[in-house]
Amino acid sequence: MRRLLIGFIALVILIVLLCVATLCFGAVNIPFSSVVHALFSPGADVSSNILWNLRIPRMFAAILAGASLAVSGLSLQTVFRNPLAGPFVLGISSGASLGVALALLAGIGFGSVGVLGSAALGALLVTLVVMFAATRFAQTGVLLIVGLLTGYFIDSIVSVLIAGNSSESLRVYVAWGMGSFGRVTLGDVWIFVAAVLVGLVMIGVSLRYLNAALLGDDFAHGLGLNVKRSKICVLLGASLLAGATTAFCGPVAFIGIAVPHLAYLLFRTTNHRVLLPGAALCGVALALLGGLFPASVPLNAVLSLVGVPVIMWVLVRGSGARF
Amino acid sequence: MTNVESQNILLECKDLLVGYGKVLPSMKFPFDFSLASGTVVALMGENGCGKSSLLKTFAGMLTPVAGEVSLEGKSLTEWAPRERAQEISLVRMSSAVPPRMSVSEFVRLGRSPYSGIFDSRTEEDKRIVEESMELLDVANFANRPIAELSDGERSRVFLAEAVAQQVKILLLDEPNAFLDIPRSHALFRLLKKIAEERQMGIVVSTHSVEYAERYCDKIMVVNGGTVKEATAADARKAGLLDWTETFE
Repeated sequence: MRRLLIGFIALVILIVLLCVATLCFGAVNIPFSSVVHALFSPGADVSSNILWNLRIPRMFAAILAGASLAVSGLSLQTVFRNPLAGPFVLGISSGASLGVALALLAGIGFGSVGVLGSAALGALLVTLVVMFAATRFAQTGVLLIVGLLTGYFIDSIVSVLIAGNSSESLRVYVAWGMGSFGRVTLGDVWIFVAAVLVGLVMIGVSLRYLNAALLGDDFAHGLGLNVKRSKICVLLGASLLAGATTAFCGPVAFIGIAVPHLAYLLFRTTNHRVLLPGAALCGVALALLGGLFPASVPLNAVLSLVGVPVIMWVLVRGSGARF
Repeated sequence: MTNVESQNILLECKDLLVGYGKVLPSMKFPFDFSLASGTVVALMGENGCGKSSLLKTFAGMLTPVAGEVSLEGKSLTEWAPRERAQEISLVRMSSAVPPRMSVSEFVRLGRSPYSGIFDSRTEEDKRIVEESMELLDVANFANRPIAELSDGERSRVFLAEAVAQQVKILLLDEPNAFLDIPRSHALFRLLKKIAEERQMGIVVSTHSVEYAERYCDKIMVVNGGTVKEATAADARKAGLLDWTETFE
């Protein structure tokens, strides 16, 4: 009980500090007093402009992306009973990439929906393929393979598209592929918020299933759970979270696969009542930390550079290498 | 022995045929069976004869090839899954366990059929989980990961989970497969005791004739595609156990 309390309080304090840092540091040096002033009485000055148009949207993007990817990764690892599972495994991020690649590189009529819309469409398309597989095959292993193969297939299509392209749009695509929290604007952050909330609710209402799913579908069935319905609900929720994040921030690797392990090492429980919020907070903290680095450094590189040593250290030190 | 008149029929089968798919049923002849409260039935037969399929059918996890299973007078298919999970539990010792889950977390899952949407536990739930762990003598390693336990310890943890589920019908698939002799005796004594005290009906598959005859009320044998049943005292005389000594 004490471990939980301390863990959650520490994470919340860390996140608040990181939020303050996100608002205070950036390419332009703004004194703390100006940040506070711009925050509470926004004007037309440069500080207010930077704060409200760049830093606050970036903070929201990091919070939403971190929580989404962590929760998505955790629920996928639980449902697949596989410590390597994550949003990438279902091919959802690849699907979003395909949407963006088709729009930017092949010029297939997504011009009107923009990069965001095409990413969302691509993610949705792959989700439907995976859902179809989920209803056809009971074994999660098959589903995992379907997701991975779909991802590979899509990646090759994208490679082919890239090979025949050397234009400005390729540069935009490559930039999108590096991942960034800097593309969300205050105008469209609400769509992101709504998608994340729906995804979180879909996974949240499946708590009973997630806790039992660790023992397998037969066991969950024996505890009176509607396994098929719950599984589809969780997979759809996880896809929505990962798809929305990929659409808004580009393919952000690492958080989805690593943070669930970090959360376990912190809280030492398999109970998703604790683990889900725990993982969400860990994801938020890591994303905010990664977002603090200058925009010129690719986000994915930063996240792995910061995250991998941390998690390796915790795994080795905490003798928690138990999968 | 419990008073026959006070017994309720918990589980009843009519013309039941069990198996995977319609093509190859494990059993050739349909059978009737009823499980009364307060009794322990030993389920015996060679490996692969269909004991596990039979238990899965009783638990509603396998659709019968023919015939019907009813739980407390209502067809098993008509029960809502969650309500059924409050009445009946199938314990399989071979379940793969998640590496990180602790004993108490696992036993706690037994209260899942009673929990709300956020899977919380009441004080009552916690008390029942504690009691179940005490009863199966696993409370002293409640915080260890199940994956690190010995097979015997794990068997008791699986049982504790089923006891915490507070079902009326307990179906056990070879619970003493990994237990040493003293613990096997203790297990069967415990089954007999909880069957009588809690008026439960227990079906336990086992390869041990000794425990079946000594601790169980009835013996049910699956052999050569048929299912036969007799009281534990009469089983040997009725020739139900002949197959155990005729293997060539």
